[in-house]
Formats: sequence, structure tokens, C-alpha cells
Amino acid sequence: MEKMIREAFLRHLEKDTRRNFLKGSFLGLGGLALGSMMSCNNDKKTINSLFDPQNPLAPKSPHFAPKAKSVIYLHMAGAPSQLELFDYKPELAKLDGQDCPQSFLEGKKFAFIRGVPKMLASQAVFKQHGQSGALISNYLPHLSTVADDLSFLKAVTTDQFNHAPAQLLMQTGSARLGRPSMGSWVTYGLGSENNNLPAFVVLTSGGNNPDAGKSVWGSGFLPSVYQGVQCRSEGDPVLFIKDPDGISRDIRKASIEAINEINQNEYKAYGDPEILSRISQYEMAYKMQISAPEVMDIKSEPAYIHEMYGTKPGQASFANNVLLARKLVENGVRFIQLYDWGWDTHGTSEDGAIDIGLINKCRSVDKAITALILDLKQRGLFDETLIVWGGEFGRTPMAENREGKPNAFKGRDHHAEAFTMWMAGGGIKPGISYGETDELGYSAISGKVSPHDIQATIMNQLGFDHEKLTFDFQGRSFRLTDVEGKVVKELVG
Amino acid sequence: MEICFFSKLKSSYIVHRFSTLYKNMRFAKFILVFLSFVAVSSCSFFQEKIDFNAQVKPIINKNCIACHGGVKKQGGYSLLFKEEAFSKGKSGKVGIVPGDASASEFIRRLTLGDPDERMPHEKDPLSSEEIEILTKWIDQGAEWQEHWAYIPVKKQDIPEVSNDWIKNDIDRFVFENAEKHNLKPSERASNEDLVRRAALDIIGFPAEEKTRNVFLQKGKYETYIDSLLSSPSYGEKWTSMWLDMARYADTKGYERDGKRNIWRYRDWLIKAFNEDMPYDKFLTEQLAGDLLPNPSENQYIATAFHRNTMTNDEGGTDNEEFRTAAVLDRVNTTWETLMGTSFSCVQCHSHPYDPFRHDEYYKFLAFFNNSRDEDTNAEYPVWRHFDEKQKAELTNLSSWFSKTVSEKEKKELISFLQTLQPSHNSLKCDDFVNAELNDTKWLAMRNHSSARLKSVNLEGKKKLIMQYKDFANGAFEIRLDNPKGKVLTRLNIFKKEENKGWKTIELALENAQGVRDIYFVYSSSVLDNPNANGIMFDWFYFTEGFPAGKTPEFAQQKQKFWNLLNASVENTPIMYENPEGFNRKTHVFERGSWLSEGKEVVAGVPASLGKLPSNVPNNRLGLAMWMTSKNNPLVARTMVNRVWEQLFGMGLVETLEDLGSQGATPTNKELLDHLSYKFMTEYKWSVKTLIKEIMLSATYQQSSKVTPDGLEKDPSNRYLARGPRVRLSAEQIRDQALAISGVLNPEMYGSPVMPYQPEGIWSSPYNGEKWVKSDKSRQYRRAIYTFWKRTSPYPSMISFDGVGREVCVSRRIRTNTPLQALVTLNDSVYVDISAKLAQKALNVSKKNYLESIKTAYMLASGKKITKENFIILSTLYQKTLNIYRKDKQKTKALSGGENPEMAALILVSNTILNLDEVITKS
Repeated sequence: MEKMIREAFLRHLEKDTRRNFLKGSFLGLGGLALGSMMSCNNDKKTINSLFDPQNPLAPKSPHFAPKAKSVIYLHMAGAPSQLELFDYKPELAKLDGQDCPQSFLEGKKFAFIRGVPKMLASQAVFKQHGQSGALISNYLPHLSTVADDLSFLKAVTTDQFNHAPAQLLMQTGSARLGRPSMGSWVTYGLGSENNNLPAFVVLTSGGNNPDAGKSVWGSGFLPSVYQGVQCRSEGDPVLFIKDPDGISRDIRKASIEAINEINQNEYKAYGDPEILSRISQYEMAYKMQISAPEVMDIKSEPAYIHEMYGTKPGQASFANNVLLARKLVENGVRFIQLYDWGWDTHGTSEDGAIDIGLINKCRSVDKAITALILDLKQRGLFDETLIVWGGEFGRTPMAENREGKPNAFKGRDHHAEAFTMWMAGGGIKPGISYGETDELGYSAISGKVSPHDIQATIMNQLGFDHEKLTFDFQGRSFRLTDVEGKVVKELVG
Repeated sequence: MEICFFSKLKSSYIVHRFSTLYKNMRFAKFILVFLSFVAVSSCSFFQEKIDFNAQVKPIINKNCIACHGGVKKQGGYSLLFKEEAFSKGKSGKVGIVPGDASASEFIRRLTLGDPDERMPHEKDPLSSEEIEILTKWIDQGAEWQEHWAYIPVKKQDIPEVSNDWIKNDIDRFVFENAEKHNLKPSERASNEDLVRRAALDIIGFPAEEKTRNVFLQKGKYETYIDSLLSSPSYGEKWTSMWLDMARYADTKGYERDGKRNIWRYRDWLIKAFNEDMPYDKFLTEQLAGDLLPNPSENQYIATAFHRNTMTNDEGGTDNEEFRTAAVLDRVNTTWETLMGTSFSCVQCHSHPYDPFRHDEYYKFLAFFNNSRDEDTNAEYPVWRHFDEKQKAELTNLSSWFSKTVSEKEKKELISFLQTLQPSHNSLKCDDFVNAELNDTKWLAMRNHSSARLKSVNLEGKKKLIMQYKDFANGAFEIRLDNPKGKVLTRLNIFKKEENKGWKTIELALENAQGVRDIYFVYSSSVLDNPNANGIMFDWFYFTEGFPAGKTPEFAQQKQKFWNLLNASVENTPIMYENPEGFNRKTHVFERGSWLSEGKEVVAGVPASLGKLPSNVPNNRLGLAMWMTSKNNPLVARTMVNRVWEQLFGMGLVETLEDLGSQGATPTNKELLDHLSYKFMTEYKWSVKTLIKEIMLSATYQQSSKVTPDGLEKDPSNRYLARGPRVRLSAEQIRDQALAISGVLNPEMYGSPVMPYQPEGIWSSPYNGEKWVKSDKSRQYRRAIYTFWKRTSPYPSMISFDGVGREVCVSRRIRTNTPLQALVTLNDSVYVDISAKLAQKALNVSKKNYLESIKTAYMLASGKKITKENFIILSTLYQKTLNIYRKDKQKTKALSGGENPEMAALILVSNTILNLDEVITKS
């Protein structure tokens, strides 16, 4: 029976891929059908059954009905100060300028603080907002207006206090290089619903890649097809997506037709089904060339949208990336990572001062993030899109004193023990504040949440049991959350 | 296999949740219900012998080992090692009683009715067939076998089969195996296919016409293979395989991912492959070249294999943490790439399936834990590459030392000039007062400061040579035992000019005995700013010193010594074993965490794989000798399997990285063992001989045409009844395109190059380095010379499944995505190559454009174009020619000129470069 189905499919495929595929039905065939055909006769020894080398991006169902279809993860690289944004600590203000208590320092290690630093009051003004009474500072006036849509994790803790390892831990579940990123896991588990766009898109702003480089969207030991595709604000939106100068669309179409016709002849001669995959690969590439630049061009958005997001087409900015993220979500992209560089406020420069640079950074994201929430809502996409906001760790309630000397500006060192993240949409209960830090904001006293817990929660919203999405490598089943991770029940209801 | 996947999935889920489910095995109630069953199976005693590895181990691995294995020993019982399986659990009852299933608690527990007692716990019971196999096996004496890959390789009997198809012994193994699976081997591939296949496999791109004709016109296949094997391009092709294993990169990795100078190691590999260095020597030099007697410069460079670990320059990072990470990586890489064993799980607990115990990981780690590297910014220890003139000076100095100092002292002085070792890195300092590690890298001292360096052997040391930077006038002292202790030396700094670079200086030391803590003390009368650094240090070298003498000759030689020491030369990170006094102790890390040290261990190899040979040193050299001894069951098999994979697209064991019991089942174990045995004995570890033997087989020379029957019975060609047909690797795709278009720059070796790459790919923070496009001909060098940045590798390489090289990857998984098509269609590199191919075809075809299409096709695929395909391409040519004729701008944009014919031919060439038969080895 299986044989019969396979033969019928093969014949169908042969017919459809013959000649003129671009003239005839453009859709219909393609990698999807091909993949399912291939997998039914594959005696593949590969123990990682979700991975089909013939069609690695075929759509797959998660473990249970998902609440969220897509994720937009806003990573503020460098680690924003929770004490200036969300974690209101009036007691800290009273100790401003005093020596840090010994109990905070004993047995602790900091990246740059040495000896006894001084306590540093929050530079921002806090107020409660919305029905939920969420505390948000005056650094984020726009976001304050959608306070009731957000749910805060106030006691996130990590065990890494350097940027690269902490970013890796947050995005790949391990502080060392070499593990697949969250988006790669999701792509491995879900495949892609849109053959014309990359399945997992990464957008960066702020002038630098995150500290851990492309590894935070790398595929680690998963096949490289699952890595994030970085879309760029200058040059081609996706590398090599543009036809070369002097090759117009009609020429390219004729050329791909010729490639596939000759490949069809090759298939007749060699009978290798891989050749059919190649044909479909070129067909998909052609279609992606049409769709991707279209989707990735924000110029066509109406003026009120640009007003709302604060976007200026043609400029490399976080706001532009946020708007683009919305367009990608609309077009079926499942995982979108935004990295914004420049949140590392040590106080060694004006840009890195919590009372100067940080305010500017907040201005550059506040309006766009707020617009994203409102825009997704007006399009009815908010409930199925999970937005996650956060850095890789928090900042100390003490002023940084690099090498034991006071810094030139007001700044805070890296702090692993407590920081704030928030989630919104995608089935997350709105208006919650979960977890608490002590009165100086130094450590978590309740509702501690680890990066693995965040990952488990995100996977949960996408319909995955994070313990069951695994891949065998080096003799062991690996998963995103390593050997840990608990879904934050308080947020998912 | 699917079932196996899920069971493994479950087991890992359980394995890695240590806490919850713990339930004691209560060997209590005795139930007689199944006694009759046991009796029945005992009757089958005389039946067919049960094979432990093939029949029993898979049942145990699937059902039992997750709770009774290397990670957990529920009820105090484990089935991982023989002695554990044959002993008592907590209940006091013996699990397996050889020869007596009825007395074996192991069998009884499988057959109980009480679900609380019956095993596997809270899962479906084993099938009666499975229980029967286990019962029979015990009754037959419970013969416990090691997994096949852990048993030394034996000489194999050659299958007695005869058939005209057979060319050498490999074919006998393959023929027999194919027959077993009802497959008939294929006929020989066409000469055109074979000539291209062999060249892609040996040199990585199609051979030149002259070389090809040895085979195509004179029919001499073996001579053709020989000439390819003796081409210098062979070494480049096979080195590209090794670089993934060695996790070679031109940057250090982690956040700043700065440049690393380690390309001489890549060149060493190319030369070693080209010289066909025996594989045992090849491994020994990479693992322990520095420990060989009187190691040469090249042998030191070989040790850079294990200096391809990453170095973390991010400010605020703990250097010991990342030194440890590098050592762990050396252990995992050694096992995975050289011994086909996934060892990294043993870092946290005993291996769940294979016979490796938790502490054995750390015993093995101890071999690598005594190298001098400490995650320093300059990547010490390094080999300093002197130029010819400097080398002559060094030789001269060395012979002078022979006359003036002891052999030991001479060695030390020369070794110091070459490696700057053994020195104390300033980042090991602590107990700071007004001092700190600058950017957590170098000791930096402010006014009125002190810092400690622990455990320095001062015995007999008369001099200190140190590398430092000063920023202000001041006084620096070294004091014994405490900041107020005896002054050992003093340096007064009078700054004359601004000199920001590192300086090296020698200071005389007062006498001091033994291993002592020393304190650095600094003060300045001019440094007003309490936050300003006055002095900074890189390293300290305590020495008996340069021989003392008052004659001009001494002064002259000493000048030579200092000239060489201060010479600004390139260097390469190397392995350098800690001498006496620098040794590190190795501890087990509890649950794999470097912060929780367990018991101390000494270097050793896992007991299940034998012992170090007698009379070898218990260090990396001894380890290398153990690995390359004929008794080591893994090293030859792993390499043979890897070579096979390079040629056929799939290893004889598919999981190159794991030959263990969780790896894939070998498709032809006898053939693997046959070749592995020959590799170690008859071939004397010659990789070229191994490759040639395989290529001369009928198996290799088969046509890769897929018949419906073959596809049905063996879709992925495990049983080799047809030739290999696989997409080219990232490197092959680039190299082939360069070669066929005639622009390949054959220059070998040297610092990495930067071919065209789109703007904005490199943007590491705190790293000003830029991708600077290499000049003209260097654009066209082979892929292996492309600069490899770990956090941002060359995009088109990654599209075609290249790996990031953060850690070793012993197998690239081939995928198929539209992004690959976009590279060869649109990447400027390939558009440029298309133009070059068009130009070359046009030259060959004497300016006849239609003929050029045939030529370009021939150049790219190695085959004459069929009439049908020519019609397709010439139609494309005509169609696009019409467009280009009407559009001067397009013509200019694509061809750079005004000739529409040329533009159309470039387009056709670009089309040809994208054909399946061009990007596939057939």
C-alpha cells in the first residue's frame, strides 16, 4: 500500500515538475507535498524523527493546542536597569550614596564592582498605571498607557553575569556556545507555514550585533536550516534575495525554468528523488525572491502607522524593526527576534549613564513597542502573538566602581540575582505582576523565575511540552531547557 | 528505529529529572504465578545461542538502563557493568545468576503481576519474546559482551564470494552484504561521472584536462587516482574535513571574538596530509607534539589542534572558568572526533549507556589539565616564529650556551625565547589593595597599591624577567610573604616619553628559598589621581638568569638574547605542559559543575578500554600512544568510518560521532573492521593508501543511477548497491566554481583571505576589526583559506551547512533550503564566476556563442551536453539575448560591457552553475 501511494505521488510529482512549472499552477506543489512524499518511504536511520532532510521546514503540529502562533521576542542587549524602569524601590532612595551593606558583597562576584561600592537611588519617577496599578517609571510614558496588557516577571534570576554567556543562556538554554537557539527549536518543532519567507527571522538595531554574536540565533547542533535568518535594514533584506544587476525578473524566471527542465532530464537519467527536491528548492527560492522584499518593505504602510510607531522608512532603527515584525507575523513567520544594542549602562560614559543614555534608549523603543501592542490588537493578532521583553540580566542597586574607583557617570554593574521582564499577548494573563525582590531590589524573595522557566513558558504558549521537544546529539537527547525549566503557571492561567 | 527514538526521548526525560520519581525497588513478595513460564523457557536451553550485543543489550538499553544504569541506580541495582548486573540490589537478591534464570531476580521482576513490583516500573511490560530472549541468555550462561566498538579490531576473514563485478576485497564484503538485502550491485559509472567523482573526492574540484585525459583517453584509472593523490590540492581538500573536527577558526570566539593567529596549524595539516604522514604520527603530534623528545617547530604547531578552543576576552569574565571550559572541550573533542564516542555526558554522571564512569571523565581530563594556557588575552603559551636571520642568531646563541651553561639551563633559556614559558600570568594575582585586574586581564596597580602572586618557586632564582607597561614615575617592589616582607627586587621608573606598549625588563632578585607567596607593591610621588593606574603587568618569569660573565662576549651574547626576546614576531598558540611547580590538581566536578569540586583524581583512561601501554609517561604523550596502539578499539575505526563518509556521503556507521551503543548500527561492521585492521597494519596508517584502496573498489566505481527497485529496498543507499550521489560541501561548491571558470588561484598556505562578502556582516561589539576585501587574485583562493570568524562565519559557507566551529562538529548534516539556491543564483561571488566561466567558454570556443554554451556545460558538469539540454539552454540564450539587445543598461550591468551576446552567455553560465548535476557529486 505504502509503495502504491509513493509511486502515485512520484508520478504526480514528475508530471507537475515537468517544464513550465512557473507558468502553470504556482502553488500546490512545492516543498510541502514533496516532503510528505519523501518521508513516507524514508527508512532514515536518523533518530531525530522531526527532522526530514528532504523537507526540513514542512509544517508540523506541536504537542497540544497552542495559545500563541507567533513570538516576537524583544531583547534589549546589554541589560536594561530594572531599577529605573519597573522595580520601584523607595527604600533604596534612602540609602543613596551610602556604603553597600557587607551582606550584599560577601561571597559575591561582580563583573566590575570591586571593594565596597555605594548604593544608588533610582533616577526615575515611578507611578502606578491602569486598572492593574502596574508600576512603570517616567522613562516609558507610552508603555505606561498599555500597562494593563502587560504581565511582569519581577524576580527573574540568572546565573551568568557577563553579557555573552547570559545572552546565550537566555536564548539557547546554555551559557556556552553550541546549543540551538529558542527560535531554532521552535522552527525545528513547527516547521514553517510560509514557504516564501524565512521561518525564523532576526532583526538587529543599535549598531551592533548582540555580544554573543550570531550564536544567539544559531542552530547549534540542529541542522543549520533551522538557524535564524538575519534580515537587514540596509542592502538586501535577506542575503542574496535580490536578483543581480542586469538580471530582471523575467530573465530570472526563464533561467530557473531552464534549470528545472534540465534537472528534470537529470531525474529521468538518475532516478534520484533528491533531484526533485532540488527542483522544488529552486521554485521556492524564486517565490521567496518575490514575497520577501515585498513583506519586508515598510514603505507601503500608511502614514498613520508610521506616526504610531515613530518609523522612518530607510533608516536603521528599532522602531522600523518592530513594524517589520508585525508584518512578518501577519505573513505567518513564527519566531521573530529583535535585538537592540546599547542597554549596558555602567556609567563609564554619557551614553551608558542611567540618567542620560538610558533615557535616550527608552525613548527609542517606548513608542514603537506600545504601537506594536495596539496595532496587533486592532488587527486581532494580539491574542495569538506572544511578545516577550527583557535583557540578559539586571543591574545592581549599587553604583558601579570599576576597579574600585567611582565611575565618571551614574551607572550600575551587571546583576544576575534579580531583574524584570514582561510578556504580553499570546494567551498570557494580562495585568499580572509576578515575583518580588527585597526592599532594595537586590535579590528575589518570591516568585523566582529562571531563563529556563521563561523558555518553558514560551514553548508552552506555542503548544510544546518543553521536556518533550528533543534532539539527539552526542549520545544524549538535548532540549532547549537542558534539565530544568518550569512553566510559569501564574502567567499562563 | 522510531520506537527507539521515543524510548530514548522518554528515558532522557527521566534521566534528567533527578528528584521526583525515586521509588525503592522492594524485592519482597515472592509470587509463584510465573514460575511455570520460567520452567518452559528453561526447556529451550539447547536452542540457538543468544547474542548479547545484538539481542540482549538493545532490550536493556531501551527498557531498563534509564533507571538502572549510569545515571540512576534505582534499588541499588544497575545493568551497565557486568559486575553490577551480576550482583545484589538493595533487596539482597542477586539480579542475574548466570546459568539460572529462575534464580535471577532480574527475570522474576519482569514477570510479576503486581504493577508496583513489576518492571519496567510504571510502563508496559516487556513482550513475551523479549522476556524469552533474556531468560534464554541467562540460562545459556549470561555471557556478557562489550559493545563491538569497544573490543579491539581483529583481522577479518574475507567472504568467499566470487563475481565478475568484484575488483578487490572491499567488494567481497559489500557484495555479500548487498545479497543479504536482496540487492544487486550496479554496473560501473560512466567514465565522465567517475573522473569527476574521483577528483571531487580527492582534490575537491574537477581535475584539469591533462590529468583527466590519463583516464578518459588512456583509460588508466589507477594512474589517474595516483596523480590526484599526489596533487597538493589533495591536502587542502582533506584538511577542510579536519578543520570542523579541530573547531579551527581565525578568531577567539565569545563576545569580542577577536582575531587569532593560528593559520600555521591549518598549513601544518595540509602538509601532513600531502606528505601522507602516518595517521598515528599525525594524531600524536597534534595531541602531544610538545612532549616529544626535542620537539621541532612543526611539532609545536601541530599541538595548536587543542588550542583551537575558545578564549574569552569579554571584560568581567572569570579566566579560570573559561580555562576550564577549554579543557572540557579538549576532552570532548578528543573523544568525539578521534574516538567516535560521545563522552560529554560523562561530565555530569556516569555514561547512561556505555561503560564509562563519572570519575573516568576527570581522570581523562587530567591529561589536558596541565597545560600552561590560562585564558589570557595574548593566548599564551605561544610559539614565536623567528625569521631565518633570527633563527640563525638563535642557533648561534644556542651553541654558545652549550659552552657556558648546563644542558638543562640551555634548554630553558632557548625554550623561553621561543615560547616565553614557563611564566606566571599576572591575571593569577589576588589580594588586591588599590589594584585590580584591568578588564579582568592584566594586573593594574594604582598609587599605594599591592597585590599577591601565590606559590612562586624561588629556589635558585636569581632574575625576574617581566612584561609590563608604566604610566607614571614611581617605585615598584617585590616583597616576600607579605606586603611588608623582605624586598626581593625594586624598580624605579623614570618616564621620559609616552610609550604605551608592553616592555620587557630583567631585574635581579635577592636570595629566597622554596615556594613562596610574593607581593607586588607600587607607589608614586607624582601620581595625584588615586584612580589612575601607575603600572600594569602581563607576565613574570623567574629564572636562574642569563649566565654571568664580564667579558665582552657575554655582553654581546646577552644583547643577542634580548634582541630575540624583544623581537616583534608572529606567533601561534601551542600546548605547553606545566613544569614542576606549576602543576594543577584535577578534581571530579560534582554534577559537572566546575565550582563544586569532588575527589582528586590522577590521569588515566577508562578501565573498559584497557590501560596505557607499559613504559609510557602518564601524560598527553602516553595518552597519544594509548590512542594509537593497535589495541585501541576506536581510533582506527573512527578514521576509516570518516574517510568512508567523505567518499560515500554516509559512514559505515552513520553516526560518525558515536560508535557507542546509542550510535547507529553499522551497515557493514565486518567491512569497517577489515579496513580498520588493514589501516593499522598493512597500510601502516597511510590515509592515502586507504583512500586509494576504496577508490579502486568496484563498490566506489558503481553508477549512482537509482533504480525503482533499489529505491524501494534501500532508499538511502546503506548497502551500497549503487554509487554515491550527494550534494557537494560548502567548500567544494566554491572551489569547483573557481576551478571550472579558470580563476582558481592555486597559491597555498598563509594568512586567511577575505573574498567578497556583503556589507554589514561583521559587527561584533568592542571589536574594531573589519572585513577588508582581499586584493584581486586573492579573491579566488580556495574556500579553506577564507577567514573564519566564529560568531559571524562567511555567509555562503553557512548556507551550505558549514558549521560555526565553536565546538567540534564531526558530521555536517546536509540540508536543502531555498537560501542555498539564492547563494549560487545571486551572490556577487557567483555572478562574477559566471562571467569568468562565460569568458573562458568563449575563448575555448573561438568566440562562437552557441558553441560556448556547450563548452560551459562541459566545463561545469564534465559531460557533453545532450541535444535536449542544449535546446533548453540555447532557447534560454536566445530569449535573454533578445532582452539584452533591447536593454543596454541591463547588458552593461551584467557584463560590464555593451555586448548583449556576452550578457546572455553570462546568464546561461549562471544557469549552468546552478544545475543539480553541477552542485552534486554523481
